[in-house]
Amino acid sequence: MSAHEELLDNVAAYALGALPPSDAAGVERHLRTCAECRREYESLRPAVTAVAYSAEACETAESGAAVASPLLKSRIMRKVRAEAAPRRLAPPAWPAYLAAAACLALATVTGLQNLSLNDRLNRERAQTTQQVKELADLAAPDSKRMPFHHGEVVMHGPRLYIAMHDMPMPPRGKVYQAWTLAKGAKRVAPSMTFMPKASGTTLVALPEAATTLAAVAISVEPEGGSLQPTSKPIALVAL
Amino acid sequence: MERVRARDAAAFETLYDEYHRLVYGLALRVLADPGAAEDVTQAVFLKIWDNPALFRGGNFGGWIARVTRNRALDVVRSRAVRVQEDVPESLPVDESLEETVIANLDGARVRDALERLPREQREAIELGFFGGATQEDIARETGTPLGTVKTRIRMGLRKLRNVLEGVVTV
Repeated sequence: MSAHEELLDNVAAYALGALPPSDAAGVERHLRTCAECRREYESLRPAVTAVAYSAEACETAESGAAVASPLLKSRIMRKVRAEAAPRRLAPPAWPAYLAAAACLALATVTGLQNLSLNDRLNRERAQTTQQVKELADLAAPDSKRMPFHHGEVVMHGPRLYIAMHDMPMPPRGKVYQAWTLAKGAKRVAPSMTFMPKASGTTLVALPEAATTLAAVAISVEPEGGSLQPTSKPIALVAL
Repeated sequence: MERVRARDAAAFETLYDEYHRLVYGLALRVLADPGAAEDVTQAVFLKIWDNPALFRGGNFGGWIARVTRNRALDVVRSRAVRVQEDVPESLPVDESLEETVIANLDGARVRDALERLPREQREAIELGFFGGATQEDIARETGTPLGTVKTRIRMGLRKLRNVLEGVVTV
């Protein structure tokens, strides 16, 4: 048997990884220069890869193969995320209603010229303080936002807002009404009634503590509000 | 892998989700020890994260399988996870569509293909691949002439390849 034939004879075992290191080094050197042995190696290597795949763990019980603990992934990803390149976040979108709310502060202040100077200053301070607080809640990066068709419900700590944009006016004699569902409750409770602004942008701060609620809904109700919803909700948002 | 090289954790997580069953299953088959198999799985993936340039192209599934097998056999031999700076790698080969197709088969289909091999061929292949035995070891352990072992490995791998090609084209 020639040296070439002997090496060719060992190519399959080399592909499988079943040669001692000294023999493997010889085959590897030979493969770099021998086209025939190289073809043999390349034709067998996919089968070796397939042998590896035969051990692939599977989720089904019938295979008998177990899967790794989910905690393993947590351990690995904890290290990876700690070392990952910082993500380039897009600047947070400034919702239309938030810009509108900022403008509202100015509009409210300019509408107070008929009051005495002290009254005007006191009311201005109170309203501005409240609006700054609301703006801070709406813009807070840790606020939770739950969108619905015409806006979103915004939750920041215990405070809860319904922020709507492009909200159509309800039919004549009707208003919008918010409903809250307390955690564990089976029926909704009536909350505030409100009308959209002319711009279609409306910001409503609900009096209920967000932490006690499971859901918020909005429906169209007769002026003065209802004790129970009389129409299908236009929005239902789980918190 | 490009995104992993750019230290993208989300891309790495996708890679983990796609290959962890192969890596863990292979390590478990070699080590027969779930805890040690998890250690190897962690070592393999974190090595890729720390040094993604170790993968120089080709079929990633085939590459990570060889890395895992070598790492697991290393543990069998030393009974300790030894983190090496160089990951053992065979000769780089041209990426072939066929290898990609075979590598994309799931474990159950490949197990079925292995089952179709003559017992002595399957045994030689499994002893060599999962057991880390050399062809001389296999000859000694099975009381078979070395030449016969070589033939069994070669014929077994060829048949496996043909069976899998049949599976692919069905």
